[in-house]
Amino acid sequence: MNILSFIAKLFNLNSENCKCCNKQKTAAGVSILAASFCFCQECDLEFEGQILDLHDNSPISQAAIQVIDSDQIVYSDFDGFFKLKNQCSEKINLKISHLNCEDIFQELNLNKSVFKKFFLEHHIEFLNEVIVEDSNIRELSSSAKAYLLSDLQKDIYSGRGLAKALEQISGVNILTTGNGISKPMIHGMFGSRVGIINDGVQIENQQWGQDHAPNIDQNAFEEIRLVKGAGVLKYSGDTPGGVVVLENKLPLINDSLYGKSILNGFTNGRGLNIISSWTKSYSNGNYFKAQGTIKRNGDFSAPNYLLSNTGTNENNISFSMGKNKILSQWKTNFSFFSQEIGILRSSHVGNTNDLVYAIELARPTIIEPFDNKVNPPKQVNKHHTASIQYSTRNSSNGKLNAKYSWQRNNRKEHDVRRGDLKNKPALDLTLNTHDLLSNYQWEKSNWSLDSGVFFQIQDNYSNPDTGTRRLIPDYLKTELGTYFTASFIPSNNLGLAFGLRFGHQNNHVKKYYKNKRWKEKNYQEKLGSFVIKEVLSQKLVEQRLIFNNLSLNTGVKFSILERLKLGLNLFHTERAPDIAEMFSDGLHHSLATIEYGNPFLKSETTQKFVLNFEKDIGNFKFNFSPHYTNGQNYIIIEPSGIEYSIRGAFPVWEYRAVGSAIRGFDFDFSIDLNKNFRLRSSSSWIEGFERKSKTPLINIPAFTSNNNIQFSIPKFKSFSIALSNKITLNQNQFPNHNFETSVVENGTRLNKLVDISTSPKGYHLFGAEFHWGPYAFFSDKIRLSLIFDNILNSSYRNYLNRLRFYADEMGRNIMLQIKINH
Amino acid sequence: MLNNIFIKPIIALFTFILIFACSKDEDPEPAHEEEVISLVTLEVTKVGSSETIKYNFEVEGHDHDDHGEEDDDDDHDDHEGEHMEIELEANSSYNVSMLIYNDTDPNNIENITLEIIEEVDEHQVFYAITDELSGFSIASASDDTLDSNGKPLYIKTTWTTTGETSGDVVAYLIHEPTSKTGSTRTDFGGATDFEIEFEVHVE
Repeated sequence: MNILSFIAKLFNLNSENCKCCNKQKTAAGVSILAASFCFCQECDLEFEGQILDLHDNSPISQAAIQVIDSDQIVYSDFDGFFKLKNQCSEKINLKISHLNCEDIFQELNLNKSVFKKFFLEHHIEFLNEVIVEDSNIRELSSSAKAYLLSDLQKDIYSGRGLAKALEQISGVNILTTGNGISKPMIHGMFGSRVGIINDGVQIENQQWGQDHAPNIDQNAFEEIRLVKGAGVLKYSGDTPGGVVVLENKLPLINDSLYGKSILNGFTNGRGLNIISSWTKSYSNGNYFKAQGTIKRNGDFSAPNYLLSNTGTNENNISFSMGKNKILSQWKTNFSFFSQEIGILRSSHVGNTNDLVYAIELARPTIIEPFDNKVNPPKQVNKHHTASIQYSTRNSSNGKLNAKYSWQRNNRKEHDVRRGDLKNKPALDLTLNTHDLLSNYQWEKSNWSLDSGVFFQIQDNYSNPDTGTRRLIPDYLKTELGTYFTASFIPSNNLGLAFGLRFGHQNNHVKKYYKNKRWKEKNYQEKLGSFVIKEVLSQKLVEQRLIFNNLSLNTGVKFSILERLKLGLNLFHTERAPDIAEMFSDGLHHSLATIEYGNPFLKSETTQKFVLNFEKDIGNFKFNFSPHYTNGQNYIIIEPSGIEYSIRGAFPVWEYRAVGSAIRGFDFDFSIDLNKNFRLRSSSSWIEGFERKSKTPLINIPAFTSNNNIQFSIPKFKSFSIALSNKITLNQNQFPNHNFETSVVENGTRLNKLVDISTSPKGYHLFGAEFHWGPYAFFSDKIRLSLIFDNILNSSYRNYLNRLRFYADEMGRNIMLQIKINH
Repeated sequence: MLNNIFIKPIIALFTFILIFACSKDEDPEPAHEEEVISLVTLEVTKVGSSETIKYNFEVEGHDHDDHGEEDDDDDHDDHEGEHMEIELEANSSYNVSMLIYNDTDPNNIENITLEIIEEVDEHQVFYAITDELSGFSIASASDDTLDSNGKPLYIKTTWTTTGETSGDVVAYLIHEPTSKTGSTRTDFGGATDFEIEFEVHVE
């Protein structure tokens, strides 16, 4: 503040025709003397402008335009125009504000009369919509149906892993290995055919494995959605099963601190989970978010016995911080996932004959007293993610986005071993993945376009120090690609979508083949020229495998009746074979099988058709969705023979490509009988087979139906009950992979059937949920839930559990959940 | 300004990735299969004689470069046809030692027998004798290894023959058995480390 202004402050220098050049505050007192101190200049400039909505250019009326440090305030008129008269030739600072809007501050150098446009966000709710849209929470597709997990569903399954939470959705099953490891299966497909998208980037964690659960903590995300079919080409084009999209809403632009904490305690496994997340946001758009999960449980128990060595330890933490502004956002994120999962001790068998005994015994061979400790066989998985993202939008509703993400996954599998090897993992894979993505989105009121480029480098390192042969070879994968998606919603009754994604993939693989296998399969002819080294009766082969994949989807959604919508989506996907499918080489102890890849596989192509008949308003809602998938070069793993060694007999499973067909339907409905009573049901049926031989595909779920009655008592507003029932029928369609093995029992040689194919009997499960709250709890809100699973303590086995030969599934579990919203 | 803040680090990261990517040129080390049992030897010595006959049980088709060819002729599907035959005299006793090796690396043959003796509590050898082989018995030898409960490991055994007979014997090494005694394989539980079969001819 200079002297002039100081003096000016002492005296009131305001006059009608000559405005003092200095910025003035409200001053008290009047002085005649004052005029002589005033340095006068021309102050007859006019500053005009218009206030417009950033998105649709519509005028904003009643916005306040204030010249800071002066009393001058004008308001925009109905057409958004305003006029500031009598401005001096100088720098002025403007503040433009509107109800529920973030203020805009702007400095202007006036030397002549000007006209200027200003863009405001119309109101804060809309701004939040924009932010929501920015994290892609609005709609994943204008034609394919996305299923969203409700907050309550997310909370109830907060301690049980992502796959189990997704199992609530019709058409989604879980493929499990014991009780601790589960991965989602969508329409009979799993692993590499199901994409799990963490904040815009697919997670890369050796997802090919049947016993590899996704290394992700779903509690770090606010939104979990699922699309059946490759409907989100923005994120992945090689996932014909579907995609699971995990995202966070961007925090509001205001000063606040909020969060939630969940405490779960459960009886089966004597487990405890603590989950807490906190967000601090500021009115300038900055925010900081931290989230952590701790999970502990000991041995689970089946109705009649303990499942020894099924304990789990899990510790996850994630941080993110960023700044949301109307025109730009940046965000950085770090997360660490770490888990130790015990695998049923009895499932570690030495050879086929052990497996036969285990199947005959029908209960685990090893049942020990309850223990919290996790011993081999076990998995120790760690997943790190770090990312940085920036996006900016322009006034023509375009948004440019750039993201870099790094993921490091380490998987250690410990077997039951002897001597010095006891503490050494039998598998130790480290997968480093870098993704670089950039896209441009352009939106108008009824259409949007999105196109982008992506680049991925993935490096797999298989530690040779394990004392076993590598199950997966070392490889370096690079992928460069582009996508384009468009959606057009001309009216409420019609939506159209189209998408295209192309990827060029280069796999650089170095793999050791055993001479024995090399000769058996006559690889010399086709792979001989790729041998670069020979050591210890093994050949090192270096190959570069290139795959070009084009995926397309198109869909339409329209109203056929007033309340009935019909959606039709077609997905064509091309998926490069996994490294595991081409090169895996090793023994699986849980099924006593030797697995071999097939280095000559080609890209798998599938065409999937999904229909949706949907009624989403009224007391009776439903969605009926038949689907059909046609596959060429569909890659499956199947037994191809038996290998004998001094360890005994082992069935050999090899990957091969077949023509396949999968068809089924999902049916969901809900009926609101009255305000306090709701019936919900979701069912799905599916079958899959090889087209040529009509042989059923393996691991196709049986018909399942989840039914649930929710009711509350009008007198007690904050109390509700839900009773649930899950029906799983017998799976009668399975490929017969049974074989005979010769055993000596009590002095007699016998041939025994190894029944690894027959599915277990169907089952009924009942559950109940009681929810109290939310109640005010100091300044927070608290909710209590008591949840009973398998309330009748039924013994059953699940066809989709790889360890179904060894033990029953979990018995009754009672969980107490306390949730506090801060 | 945005360019400075965001584009530069992205370029830097990109360069880093490329450098990182290009560095994977070295060949992976061959993995050594450390725990694999690839050779089991039965050393059979008639009591009172100094002549020892060795019977080698190898991983079928397991190839060392020196004699890889001959293994190729094995017919894997003919399970019965691959039996080793052990000829014994009637009314005699034999001392039999079991030796267990990992010879996947011919330059570094590991004797796993020692490891098994060391971890005797977690291991058990079991010989299953078929009924056809009447009058033939296998007992723990006096120099056999005992576990902490005094139960024999059956790594050193005495075989006793009576009249002429012939039949199959299956020998198992069981890892972490649930029981250390039993009359048939299932009684022991645990996981089979190896399972070798041979035909005994007593003449």
